[in-house]
Amino acid sequence: MRSHCCGSAAHAVSRRAFLGASAALAADMTGLDVLGTPALAGELKKGQKRVILLWLAGGASQLETWDPKPGAITGGPFAAIPTDVPGLHISELMPEMAKRMKTTCVIRGLNTKNGDHGAAARIMMRGRRDEAGLRYPDLGAVVAREMGRADSPVPDYVTFYTQTEGRNMAPGDAGFLGARYGPMELTTSSTPEHIRRPAGLSDEDHLARADLRDLLGKDFSRGRSSDALASQGEAYGRVRGLMASESLFDSSKEPQKVRDRYGPTQLGRQCLQARRLVEAGVPFVRVARAWWDSHGQNFETHQEMVPELDRVMAALIDDLGERGLRDDVLVLTLAEFGRTPAINASLGRDHFASAWSMTMTGCGAKGGAVYGKTDAKGNTVTHEEVNAANLFATIYAALGINPHKNYYVGSRPVPLVDPGAEPVTAVLG
Amino acid sequence: MPLRPALAAVALAVVASAASADQPVEQVIDREIDAALAAAGVEPAPPADDATLIRRLTLDLVGRIPTLGEVERYVGSADPGKRAELVDRLLASHGYARHQAAQFEAMFNPDGDRRGGNLREYLVGAVADNRGWDRVFRDLLLPDHAEPPVKGAADFLRPRAADADRLTNDVGVAFFGVNVSCAQCHDHPHVKDWTQAHFYGMKAFLARTYEAGGVVAERGYGVVKYKPTKGPERAAKPMFLAGGPLDDPSAREATKDEEKAEKAAAEEAKKTKTAPPRPTVSARAKLVEVALQDGNADYLARSIVNRLWHRFFGLGLVTPLDQMHAENPPSHPELLAWLARDTAAHGYDLKRLVRGLVLSEAYSRSSRYGTEAAPDPRLFAVARLKPLTPMQLAASLKVAGTDPAEWEKGKPEEFEKRIEQAEGAARGFAGLLAQPNDNFQVGVGEALLFSNGERVTKEFLTDGGGSLLGRVNGAEDPAKAVELLVKVAYGRPPTDAERRALVEYVEARKDRPAEAYRQVLWALVTGPEFRFNY
Repeated sequence: MRSHCCGSAAHAVSRRAFLGASAALAADMTGLDVLGTPALAGELKKGQKRVILLWLAGGASQLETWDPKPGAITGGPFAAIPTDVPGLHISELMPEMAKRMKTTCVIRGLNTKNGDHGAAARIMMRGRRDEAGLRYPDLGAVVAREMGRADSPVPDYVTFYTQTEGRNMAPGDAGFLGARYGPMELTTSSTPEHIRRPAGLSDEDHLARADLRDLLGKDFSRGRSSDALASQGEAYGRVRGLMASESLFDSSKEPQKVRDRYGPTQLGRQCLQARRLVEAGVPFVRVARAWWDSHGQNFETHQEMVPELDRVMAALIDDLGERGLRDDVLVLTLAEFGRTPAINASLGRDHFASAWSMTMTGCGAKGGAVYGKTDAKGNTVTHEEVNAANLFATIYAALGINPHKNYYVGSRPVPLVDPGAEPVTAVLG
Repeated sequence: MPLRPALAAVALAVVASAASADQPVEQVIDREIDAALAAAGVEPAPPADDATLIRRLTLDLVGRIPTLGEVERYVGSADPGKRAELVDRLLASHGYARHQAAQFEAMFNPDGDRRGGNLREYLVGAVADNRGWDRVFRDLLLPDHAEPPVKGAADFLRPRAADADRLTNDVGVAFFGVNVSCAQCHDHPHVKDWTQAHFYGMKAFLARTYEAGGVVAERGYGVVKYKPTKGPERAAKPMFLAGGPLDDPSAREATKDEEKAEKAAAEEAKKTKTAPPRPTVSARAKLVEVALQDGNADYLARSIVNRLWHRFFGLGLVTPLDQMHAENPPSHPELLAWLARDTAAHGYDLKRLVRGLVLSEAYSRSSRYGTEAAPDPRLFAVARLKPLTPMQLAASLKVAGTDPAEWEKGKPEEFEKRIEQAEGAARGFAGLLAQPNDNFQVGVGEALLFSNGERVTKEFLTDGGGSLLGRVNGAEDPAKAVELLVKVAYGRPPTDAERRALVEYVEARKDRPAEAYRQVLWALVTGPEFRFNY
């Protein structure tokens, strides 16, 4: 049985109050869009929050990253090292982040209850379980809707997922918010689809043709009002801006010094692209790195993959800091789940959702904070447990989005997070 | 328009009389809609012109824009019966079965996932035979009861059989306009009709359904238990929505032997690809029986009427479509009740209902409203813009890219075949587009696809033999060429301003006329006048 369904918090409200509230939200009910608010043309809205999600697809091990248990029977071969935060130790595979934990908060007490790749990935992208008959939007779509602008010259939601493992299990999905807030997905190529002018059409004609389209549509729109009609005009109005944003995807435009810092790997290049995108105002970028699913040879896998993550994440945090973006960009590391403390016969660790870790850096997240504690072997959360709904409430709060805000699906109020879930204020600065 | 009291009295009298006699569907619709308009003091929009109406009817009934020949014959005809004749021709065509089946498929699988299997094939057959909706309901819920089995009928249950909660929800939404999933965890806060007992009561009919080796099967026993928000765990009694709980002697747990037998039967089914034997007591059959009983059948009838009203008017009499309950009244209660009764009384004949919907004056109004503030959409005073579905748009692009003379060649029966081929060729492209819902917004992905995607040019804007662009490329007079382009895409001649702008556009590109015409056609088919059914 599913744990939560619809807006129980709203249920407490009387019908009269409910109707009043929904009338006040009429713009939301009819449009589900940002059309009602006057477009903020030109400059990026001051203080607009943005997110870079490092998606560790397949499930990275918390024991080889943020919650090491050296010496325990479950601890594995790697040591724990001290960090710049007194008392906080992380895996020796992360020496660069160990020097930067003052920027980052670690949540060590995640208990998200689902150890199936597909279902867990959906939970950790949406902060809740699926419900029969209602497709929830994921984090990227919600941030795109809350932070994106109708006339934005850049995409609202970009996702990089180059490896094939697990890609179909964790697709970006705008759910009931609709295609308007769906992700621009980059899989095989490092530039988005259809962003380049077709061969054989001059730039002048590409522009003139679009003007002709506008001219033909103008008369049609007279005396007709419809959100869908307006959205079509807006979508075409954004085409040229999006085409111009192609260079944002080109990390070779960065100085060699910056590129060197991120390193030569694909993860490094994509994180640099992500930084370029958020700097230009893209509200949400996900960079997925697969495949952490180390049922066998867990330690070799992590010995190879964790240092890469460590280097790239440190570079990203430094870079954002130097550009004065740390207060506006939230960097998350998250996966569908962590890995079992128990080491199996193939020296692997299996799926584990009952006591694992994630991190938040920048924006409203409190650097140096550690929230949650697991037992000596890492099997259970002993203090300060956090579930998916609490985590998402915390992420929304860090971004300045009210986690209890309702969307309306027809007349039904659907709160951003499951009713009753509160943010973890201890990790919010 | 201020309403005079005398007129209001007349309007109410009409409402009262409308519900009784067996009258043409379209007349009842207009009386009820007009009465509500009069009561609200709202003047409806004028009727749409002929070119708009044939475009609307052709898109709504057969899922594509009309060819230029079809438009010209319709607009040029002085026959007062031409509209009914057009409607009957479209209703009789195979395109009607294909398009309505696609609409039903999207209704059953609104997320557009490809779980349909052969469901579409079943639906095309069902619409083509004009099978009553009660029969469709029975076929889809009891696919193993038909002799011989109807191909594709099992593909409504099959993809849902592994998840009884989802199956319960989807049956409620698709057939009864009721979304009981909210009552899974607690009684609905606002709707006294929907309690946990209702959800689990429905589930008790469906939870014994399972899939064995790709075949839908059912157990003859089983108990659905649930934990109410207060008190101890309960066993659910089968209960159809507002109907009372039913006694069910087969509600018990499986014995060890039965579990073993079930496993063996499933293995056997996997090997032979045939369904395990049906149980002597089928809870699902009981659901079908109860749902079609007097007093309960109203759910099925009201929901399908509301669904079809939504399909043709762009907005339901009850909205949202899955919230048909006492707290969410219809905009026109008497009309919905009459249509539901009338449809049930005529054997759930959907073609009869659709014919009435599209012959009404309410359906055929202009989508343009003169004043600044448009009236409440629930009055149906003005036609609503409907975004084209992926298949409507892709098939219409095929029609717009074809030399209109091509459609006039050959025998009339070949026309339908060629249209079907064009639809087939458009299907792949349609897969790139989003299925519209009630809050539909065009995304930038679509605008980028049309602006820069090679497929748009290669599949729809070619200038080879038989194409529209091939034909205009040789034209001496650009004014005539652009006139033809506009007529084919929009079914109307260009306005003077449009003609001037388009001719100027082409003449500025004298060095590359083929490109110029291609760009003009691109601008026409990406415009809102093409993207929407108005």
